[in-house]
Amino acid sequence: MSQSESPGGIFGLSYDGETRVFEALKLVSTAIIVLVGAWPIYWITQLAFTEYETVEDDVVTVFPTPDIFTFGNFTVLTDPEMYTYMFNTVVVAIGTIVTVVLVSLIAGYGLARLDFPQKENFARILLIGYLFSPIVIGIPLYQIWQSIGLLGTRFGLIIALSAISMPFAVWLMWKYIMTIPAAHEEAAWVDGASRWRGFRDVVVPQCRPAIIAAALFAFALAWNDFTFAQILLPQTDTTTFAPGILRAMGQTQFLPDAYLMAISLAMTLPPLLFAYFMQSYLLKGFQVRAL
Amino acid sequence: MASETGESIRPGRTYIPWDDLPVKRETVAGVGTVIPVVVLYLLIAVLPIAFAFWASLHEIHTLNPEWQWAGLANYREVLNISTFWGSLWRGIVYMVGSTLLQLGVGLWMALVLNRITRGQKLLTAVVFTAYLIPTIIVSLVAMRVFDPASGVFQMIGAEWLGLWGGREAPLGSRDWAMQLLILIGTWKFAVFVTIFTLAQLRAIPDRFYEAAKVCGANRWQMFRDITLPRLMGIVTVVVLLRSVFMFNKFDIIWQLTEGGPGNATTTLPVLAYKTVYTDQAYGLANAISVVMFLFLLASAIIYFQLFNPSEEVETTT
Repeated sequence: MSQSESPGGIFGLSYDGETRVFEALKLVSTAIIVLVGAWPIYWITQLAFTEYETVEDDVVTVFPTPDIFTFGNFTVLTDPEMYTYMFNTVVVAIGTIVTVVLVSLIAGYGLARLDFPQKENFARILLIGYLFSPIVIGIPLYQIWQSIGLLGTRFGLIIALSAISMPFAVWLMWKYIMTIPAAHEEAAWVDGASRWRGFRDVVVPQCRPAIIAAALFAFALAWNDFTFAQILLPQTDTTTFAPGILRAMGQTQFLPDAYLMAISLAMTLPPLLFAYFMQSYLLKGFQVRAL
Repeated sequence: MASETGESIRPGRTYIPWDDLPVKRETVAGVGTVIPVVVLYLLIAVLPIAFAFWASLHEIHTLNPEWQWAGLANYREVLNISTFWGSLWRGIVYMVGSTLLQLGVGLWMALVLNRITRGQKLLTAVVFTAYLIPTIIVSLVAMRVFDPASGVFQMIGAEWLGLWGGREAPLGSRDWAMQLLILIGTWKFAVFVTIFTLAQLRAIPDRFYEAAKVCGANRWQMFRDITLPRLMGIVTVVVLLRSVFMFNKFDIIWQLTEGGPGNATTTLPVLAYKTVYTDQAYGLANAISVVMFLFLLASAIIYFQLFNPSEEVETTT
């Protein structure tokens, strides 16, 4: 701390004055974040509960008052096509999460605890994977998947998405396991546990924050994905939510904006719940500082 | 280590004479743990890139998979077509604009979220949701609110601020399409910065600030000397990741504008996609992909030389 600067607040304010200015700035910032952050979610919700004829009219409604309020828009969720899209998305998301967590846990443990040649370089090369655009990988992958019969299957998409989340998840897990003292495991070995036992009963339970962070990262990727699904699931009936809905909008079928908002709300709720209940683990898991 | 000696005397196990083998047991186990990653990586990153490079040397029609050797002709064509340089420039504008805006907004949100006392958990959840909801939903909402007929932002912009005409679609205007894409992207992706920096902020012990207060530091000095040094390491990482992700961004651009109007929002990924499916030139598209990758690789190497994100920041906890 440099001693040359005069003590007291910024701009020569007293401590109390500084605190007041700081509190005011904080309040304004919070208000802006609430407004900008929550607004689209509010807009989705209010349009989803407004009768679709009203939404189609060229007027702006800001709240579903009783005369235009309806639950009817949610009937679109039972539409077999929409249901298939959402079901596919859920399957792909779960598959990606499971693959990513298992593979990254094992690889992260190996990188953190076992000594083998070139392991630092291995981790660095892995991160180069991020320089590939999904579009750069997707275009060749279309032909590769076609020739080995994975094109148009959910499994093929799960593999592609897992590989895309892998470099980051492995890196996260590696750095996190490094923060767990090796002495915990050594104590288990002294008591006669094998390396596998030590991994399963000592390391994995302590990795919970990193597992949740990696799972959330994989979830965000799978739930978000448009590019891979667009390229790798070309048939309309097996595709996931994002390309499916874009194609449904392109075709001339009955899909008013209010219905789209009802589906969007249904797809927004799981992430919101995740973010609410998992955030403390998530923030702990992301406490990595450097590459 | 206890496990290694204990295992060989257990009954019912095949005895492997590790001491006589040229490799150590630990090396085998270590390599074994990363094999699944290597397999996935080979399948999804190395193989497609090699394939793309090989395909870029051929003349290929998308629907007619007959490969004709073309040598470097595709690369010559890529560097000569006018849309390539335009797309590269727009891609750089989009990347730099988005990254700077996201960094500023993301850091600011993290600092505020770290300090508020009431409703912190709920507000953090709402902010994080922006990153977790599908891009297509962000696009659907954006298309709805900028719709010329009934969009609320279109109306506000036209009637209150006079930014565009009453029946004009902002996303279809040359002046606004790129700016709006950057803004809409920032709403969603700034949260990525927030997650990482907030995690760092939570890890700073309160006693650092208490000690600084006792020494007579003001808030700015505390921020400069305690908070900022802790954040620098992760900020260099996040800026690298965000720049790469934004340069490679395809989905949100395609959903909102399909690269239009004209070529006003056509960045390189959009150009590559259009080359495959509109121009049916599969070989040329792969040449674009390879050039994109080389550009990013060169930029990343320069970035590493300048900032070195792998250097851990010295902190005493």
